[in-house]
Formats: sequence, C-alpha cells, structure tokens
Amino acid sequence: MNPPRFLPSAVLSLGFALAAPILQSQQGSLPGPRLVPPGAAASAPEKAPPLDMPPPESVQTDISEIEFDAIVRVEVDTKQPNYRVPWNVGGMGSGNGTGFLVGPNRFLTNAHVVSDSRLIYIKNVSDPEPYKARVLYVAHDCDLALLELESEADFEAGFKGIQPLLISGIPKLNTTVIAVGYPIGGDRISVTRGVVSRIDFRGYSHSGVDNHLAIQIDAAINPGNSGGPVLQNNQVVGVAFQGYSGDVAQNTGYMIPVPVIERFLKDVEDGDYDRYVDLATSFLNLLNPAQRRALGLPNDGIGVMVGQADAAGSAGGVLKTKDVVLSIDGHPIASDGFIEIEGERVDLNEIIERKFSGDTVALEIWRDGKREKTSVTLKRFIPYLIQAVQYDKQPSFVLYAGLQFQPLDRNMMAAHSITDLRTRYFYGFYGDDEIYRERPEVVVLTEVLPDATNTHIQTFKHLVVDQINGKKITILQDVYDAFHGDFHEEGHEEYHVVRLVGEERPLVLKREESAVAHDRIKSQYNVSFDHFIEKPEILEIEGLFEKSEDGKEGAKADKDAPKPESEEKPKEESPKAEEAAPAKKAA
Amino acid sequence: MNFLSLSRLLALAIFVTAPVVRVEAQKSTPEKSIVRVNATLQDYSFLRPWEKGAPTPRRGLGAVLEGNRVLITAEMCVNSSYLELEHPSSGARVTARIAGIDYEANLAVLEPANSDSKVFEGLEPLAFDDSVTAGETLNVWQIEDNGDGVSTDVEVLRVDVGRYFIPGSVFLLYQVKGSLQARTNSFTLPVVKNGKLVGMLLSYSSKEQTASVLPAPIVKAFLADLEDGEYEGFPNLGISFAQTLDETFREFTKIADKEGGIFVREVGKGGSADKAGIKKGDVILSIAGQAIDSRGNYNHPKYGKLSFSHLVRGGAKVGDSIKLELIREGEPLSIEVPLARKKAEDFLIDPYMFDRGPKYFIYGGLIFQELTLPYLESWGEDWTNRAPFNLVYANSDPHPFEEEGREKLVFLSNVLKTPSTLGYESINSVVLSKVNGVFIKNIKDLSAAFAAVPENGLHTIEFDDYPKVIYIDDRVSKLVNQQLIQYGIAQLERLE
Repeated sequence: MNPPRFLPSAVLSLGFALAAPILQSQQGSLPGPRLVPPGAAASAPEKAPPLDMPPPESVQTDISEIEFDAIVRVEVDTKQPNYRVPWNVGGMGSGNGTGFLVGPNRFLTNAHVVSDSRLIYIKNVSDPEPYKARVLYVAHDCDLALLELESEADFEAGFKGIQPLLISGIPKLNTTVIAVGYPIGGDRISVTRGVVSRIDFRGYSHSGVDNHLAIQIDAAINPGNSGGPVLQNNQVVGVAFQGYSGDVAQNTGYMIPVPVIERFLKDVEDGDYDRYVDLATSFLNLLNPAQRRALGLPNDGIGVMVGQADAAGSAGGVLKTKDVVLSIDGHPIASDGFIEIEGERVDLNEIIERKFSGDTVALEIWRDGKREKTSVTLKRFIPYLIQAVQYDKQPSFVLYAGLQFQPLDRNMMAAHSITDLRTRYFYGFYGDDEIYRERPEVVVLTEVLPDATNTHIQTFKHLVVDQINGKKITILQDVYDAFHGDFHEEGHEEYHVVRLVGEERPLVLKREESAVAHDRIKSQYNVSFDHFIEKPEILEIEGLFEKSEDGKEGAKADKDAPKPESEEKPKEESPKAEEAAPAKKAA
Repeated sequence: MNFLSLSRLLALAIFVTAPVVRVEAQKSTPEKSIVRVNATLQDYSFLRPWEKGAPTPRRGLGAVLEGNRVLITAEMCVNSSYLELEHPSSGARVTARIAGIDYEANLAVLEPANSDSKVFEGLEPLAFDDSVTAGETLNVWQIEDNGDGVSTDVEVLRVDVGRYFIPGSVFLLYQVKGSLQARTNSFTLPVVKNGKLVGMLLSYSSKEQTASVLPAPIVKAFLADLEDGEYEGFPNLGISFAQTLDETFREFTKIADKEGGIFVREVGKGGSADKAGIKKGDVILSIAGQAIDSRGNYNHPKYGKLSFSHLVRGGAKVGDSIKLELIREGEPLSIEVPLARKKAEDFLIDPYMFDRGPKYFIYGGLIFQELTLPYLESWGEDWTNRAPFNLVYANSDPHPFEEEGREKLVFLSNVLKTPSTLGYESINSVVLSKVNGVFIKNIKDLSAAFAAVPENGLHTIEFDDYPKVIYIDDRVSKLVNQQLIQYGIAQLERLE
C-alpha cells in the first residue's frame, strides 16, 4: 500500500532485457531520467496448476519430445529514434532473440526483441532459410509480441507439420524447468536447466513502469534467450525475458508466466491489443483502530480507504477520498488490501489484472457511514504514459528559428538529461497533480540551435513553455500554430514572444529576422524537416478536455462539483491508441 | 548536514614552500596578535531531530581585537558545543562564548567567558586596513606548534563579489594567489598588510594555489553593527535578475536606447524590494546613483566592475534607503527602497539553520518537522535527486505555499511504529494541511491543534497528498508519548 513515490532510477533499473547484443545507436540511452515512477502493482491472476501435473521430481528430465523446430531465432534490424536530434533518422542496430510457434503462423516473443524494428527475420533450427516476418501485435506493457511470417507460402515451406508448443500453467516452486533459445555463446539452439525459485510481482523493465506477475528461475538465461520458451513437461510455463547482469546477482532469470501470456493472447483475439487496465487509485490500509473508528467501520478487519482516485483513471468520478472499498467482485478485501482467490491471499489488484478494457468491476463501498454498491468500467491509465519508455514512435517536435520544442516524456527527459526541477515536477506529477487537465502535453523548449538571432536565450532551455505569441500551449500542435498562424502578443506584433512557466523573462525574436533565420538554421544544422506532430493519446480520454478553454479554473470547479447520484460511467477509450499503458500502483 | 565539505575547508595538504618570512617583532606580528581557537562542533540530526551528532574538533586562528575580543569566521564555530581560546605560545586556555555572529557574512566575535584569564597576556589588538586593491601583496598569518609566527605572502588578483558560506549569500571578496602550508589551527587565518588586519582567509585551493579573503570593509561593517548591542545584519534587496545583453530583448522591454539595466525576474516575498513595490519585469537602471550595466555590474572607483549587490550589502545598512531608477512598462520610474534584511527564519523554508536543532513535534509516534534547506541537504551532495522530490520542489518554488498563508512548511517526516500509528509506518515526507480542522501554518499551530482533543478522542490529520487523511487515538498516543520518553527520546518537541 505504498503511495505513488518517485525513486531514483537505480531502484528500478533492475535488469537487462534479454535481447542479444544490439548495436546501440549513439543516442537515447535509456533508462532515463532521475525520476522513475514505481509504476504498478498490476497483478496477474493466480492460476491453479493443472490437476494432472506430475510430481516435481520427475518433471522435464527428457527433452527428446520437445519440438525444437517450433522454437525460432528472431533476427531484428532496428532503427532507434533520436529524441535529442529528432529530425535525424536515428541509430541503426541489429540484434536477435528467440520466439516460438503458438499457432498457425503465430510466433510469440518479447516486445523488446522486436521494438523499434525495421526488418524481422525468423529462422528455425533445421532450415537455413530466413523468413521475413512482421509484428502482428505488440504489448509494451507486458513485454510480449506476436509475429507472423509475411508470406503464408513461407510458413508452409518452413513450418509444415511442426506443432505449436502447448501452453501450460504456473509451475510449482523447486520444480525443474528448461529454457530454450538462441542466447550468446554460439549460433545453435541452447538448452539450460534450472528450478522455479520464486513467484512474485516485479517490475517489467521494458516499459519501466509496469509490474506484473513474474517467475524467477535459476536456469541460465542470457541475452538472446529473450522471447524463448521456458518448458516443463514439454509445455510452455513461461517466456524468458529479463535478468540481472552478473555483477548484481547470480542465477536469477525471470520469465513471463502463463497468466500474463494468456491474457495477452486473449486481448488480441479481437484484432487489437487494448492493454492492461487500471483502477488508478491509491489505497490506504485500514489496520489502524483509530482510522476505523473515525470512518465508522466495525472492527472486522475488512476494507481499505481510498487515498486518491485519479480523475483520468477508471475510478475517477466513482471513488472519492475517504471512501472505503469493502469488496471487489464479491471478494471481501482485508484491511491490508489482500483478497482471497482460490485459497491464496493475493493483492486486490489481481482482480483488475485479469480484466480487459471495457470490463466492469463490482465494488462494495462504505461512504459517509453507509454501505453502497457501485461498479467501475475499466480502462487503462493514460497519464502514466509519459513516464513509460516509448517504442516504435517517431519523436514529435517543432523547430522554429532554432528553438526546438518537444512534448515531455521519458525518452525526451533522458535524451536531453533534463535536471530542471520544475520540468522534473511536471514529469513526476503529471498524473498525480492532474497536470494533464491544463496541459495534455507539457511542451518543453529542449534545445536552442545557436544563431545570431537567438544567441542570448541559450540559458532558457529545458523549461516548460506556457505561451507563444499569446497562445496558450497545451499540446505541441499549439506551438506550430502559434508561430505559423495569426498569433501575436498585444502590442508586440513585430515579435515572436515565448513565455516559459516560472520564468518572468520572455524569449523574444524579431519576426522578420526569425523567418530568415529559420531557413538559415535549417540548412546550417542539416535539419531535414522542421516538425513532426502526433496527436497525444491523452486527448482520447472523453469528458476531460471539453472545457479546456476555461483553463485551470474550469477544470477545478468541475472536479469539486458534487457528483450526481446516478454515477457517470467513464467512457471506454479508443482501441486505436498505440502505446503501452503503464499500470498504476493502486494499493 | 554537510555544509563543511572538505572542499571548503582549507585543504592544506601541500608541501610547496612559498615566500615564508619570519617576521621581526616590530609592529603587529602573528605571535603577538592572534590566538588559537579550538572549537568542538556538533551537528543536529534531522532523521532523529531530538539528537545531536558526534562531536568533531575544528581548530583555527583568531585575530585579537580591542577589548580582548577575537575575530573568526562564523564557519569556524558553526553548531559549536564548546569553544576555547588558547594563547599562541604559553598555551593558556579559556572557555569562550560568542559575542556576535553572522552566518551570511561568515563572521563571529568571541570573548573569554572568564575575564581574568591569561589568554591575552602580552597580546596586542590589531588595527584595520581596508585600502586593499588588486596587485597588492598581503600576508597570511599562521603559528607554528612552538608558538612562532609565520607570515606568507599572497598577491591580490582581483576584488569581486562571491559566496562566503551560505549558498546565495554573496559579499565582497579579495581573490589572492599564493602557496600556504598546512599547520595546526589552519581552519581560519588572519590576513594582514603592514601589520594591519585586511581580512580573514575564507578558503584555499591547494591545486590552484588561490584563496579568497573576507575583506576588512565587511568586517568593519559587521563590528560597527554589533556595537549598539542590537545586531541588524547586512541588508538585501530580495530580487533575482536576468542580464539584458540581448538587443532584441532590450528593444522589446523598451530599454534599447538606455545603457545597461537588469531585468527583475523574481521578487522575494516580504523582502526590501517587495515591500518597496519593485515588481517582476521591472528593469533596474541604477542603484544609489550608480549605473548598472547589462550584466548587473557597476563601476566601483577602487575595484572596477563589481556586482550591484555590493551597493546594497557593502555600501548601506539596514534602515538606510536606497534609490532605484527603473523602467516599468517602458516608462521611467524612481523608487526609494528602505533596506531590510530578510532573516533565515522569515523564509517559508529556512535557507540555513545553525546553533539550534530542527523544530519538531512528535505525537503518538508521528514525527512532524518544519522543512528547512538543511533538512534537504542532509540527504548529501546529491540531495536534489535523493531527498523526497515533493519537498525538493517545494523549496524551489515555495510561492504556492506562501499564498496559502503558511509561515512554515510543516510535514510528516517519518512515522515510528507504535500502537498509535499501526498501519501508517510507510508514510513519510508528506506536507501537512490540517490537524483537527485547523490549518497548520507552523509547528506551534500543530502543537496547539493536538492539545485540543476532539470529543470522540480521535485526532484528524490531513495532508495535501497521499494518504490524504489519517486518524490517531488521543489516549493511545499519550501512552505512546510516555513510552517514547522512557525509550530514550528525551524531548518530544522543539518548538522554538
């Protein structure tokens, strides 16, 4: 039950992702900024092991039954976007991981194996031919991806008669498992053996903000194992995905367990990956007798108190501070935030972790001394996106007269090594303080390309932009419009005026000069194009931005207004959105 | 509280010998006009605010002044638990007390607790010389173990304005070059010219062989201020500014046809400038009749280009008025600014705090404190990344909290696990808003709010952020308080 906290990055940079040595491009070395959200206790459903599972001592000693041809080498050429110099093509690299056949022309692997990919080839163990593949679905929030060969004919040629691997359940502690894949140390397929060491929630380092169930094994898993199956009884019990580098801990590898794999495969059945959903609510335990008395609760050890339900999250407008949640989908919630499912005590978020976008969850709450029933329609929590590592995206930016503007996100913070405290505040508290209401995109002056026209404003970079030419900057598009449209500050018609948050001294450029300077700077600095703007996903949250013209006041009034008895169900978000949604710590 | 990081100490581990001259006993000489000062310092703990840390010794040299007083830098006796003066050769010692101290100006005057001591026997007070300019040779005084005086020549490179001790507190400095040797009692050293005191050595870099000297003009102002028994301190204007070198910006702010000028970026709440009506966006063209250039300097008759802050701190006293010529929205304006000093304790978040422990209040195991910069700095060198970010950010932008009417930022720093705080153990570093419905402006409000026990015996504690609200039982908390005292926490509060 921790509140959202901001930890130094060291705390979370737990592991290395296991794609084999990719030749990193020169820029964009994540993990990034100092502020890293703890992300999320999104939890995975506890799944009972199959009843017919053999006793531990006999598991997986024989590998002759394994269909090695179903376990493929995934070779990837990557192009990593350059958030420092966003008009550049970005660094080219290559790497490889492992994948395995899970259905007709369907290969499962890790998202990080195929992130930022240009070209993907799949090779199996007994066939020299590389087959061109593409990403069908990618889930950055749980580090899984589904690939297919581009040509059905290729699949026929290369995989005819090869059976997909069967997916099993959660293995028991101390039972033997084997990891199969193409790790460093040679070109042929590799098998390593170990036991299940621990089953727990942990951070998924690919996005940097998501937590799900993960299983620790002591079979050696190394770069290149990523995306490969971990088997028991010839069936998949996990996907190898991350580990510690040798100087931190030995014999600790992690695999994505079956509940997470199955959730992903089910989510994409409708043709879209809708991502994990989240209550986006912080809870306080109710262990304290005084707290219980004050809230008028009996001393029955049931219920957790709502600290804050984020307005843009599923429970925004449904749950309020000081509400007590007594049960979730019929499971009584103990005062430490745990529930019982199938005989196991698990975090209440287990329920949410099993659900999909648009599902509802039934809550029993205690509000103002009365028991009430309510329900929450689940969706993902978009504001935390800015703290998640971004992939497969071209960086958005606007360059004008040497002034480079970019929306605030983790990649940008890292690329520009931003340490300004106010900008860090916007980054760290974007969700908690509902900064998105006033600024769906926080736009930062990230760079000033020196030129005679702007030579004195170098020192103002890394600050958040408030207004340009009298136009309030709420998304990046506003920056482009403010410079190119008919906007000017009253009485300052002959200038471009950039006003930064918390900085009284405006940045001013002469309009005439800057038009000329813009072209000069573009050619001098080899700028191939001067803007790329993508509409931010957060604008898809319905009901949040209608009143954007009223600014903060309007938003605040809206927030504090009493809610009608008939609760308004939060709208389902568009499934078109493209990036992983970080889950938010909720208990 | 690592104010006194090694870099600021005199890193005197050098073995290069510079022009060292044994001084003939003629006028004032080291052995005749300085005393050894032995201090025992003890920092306060922020994690456990009822404790003091381990005692550490610090040894320096003080200049003997009229009336058996001794001048040292304030840094020399910061958070001192015990001070002692020692005759340079006879070794006679006496307990000392602080007669006057100013941490911003980094100066302190000590006097013997017992007037009939032999510490000053045969010693003569130093006279002052404030005529130093660039290019002159000065002598840094030291004492050998055996009591012999040593004088080392240093050359004045330039006179400018820089930081003494407190971050952001800048004063006049002599920058000097020369090579000094490590000797005992070297933490602070008198600097003289022709036997007259011209300043106190502030810092020395053995790598660069440069040092900075806190100069006599500031020392004299400090001593003069002390004379009437009521110390006012050095005034400050309370603004931050931007340079106006940018021609486009000069045209924009309509000062293109003027010379120089600085743009006011911020006006500190309750400071001299604020009270006199200086506003953000004003352009200051002159101060006390001196034209300010676009970098914020003026032409000092003796020292050349010098930061305007010396006009305030070096040329005026608290209570004086100083005339500012401004441009506001393109129009000229002249404002008289009565000069005051905003004390550390007048800030929402004290920028420094010495010789007293942090203010705190413990109830039932909840530890509340007033936020100070030293609290944040107790996280170490990298405190902006390591201290709780909400508090780091509050320090960088206290304005919203000031607007709420807070005098101090009271926060729950930690929770001791007790029967009263069951379930709250992991809560820390959250800003307090109300206790029992009362808005908490400072730690005394907090103490009063807890004293008023609500009818149901439950205290309601509200925060700005997670967890928003917690409750504790008054009866249980009072029992816990007694247990904490038995457990060894001598005091459950420090409100003054």
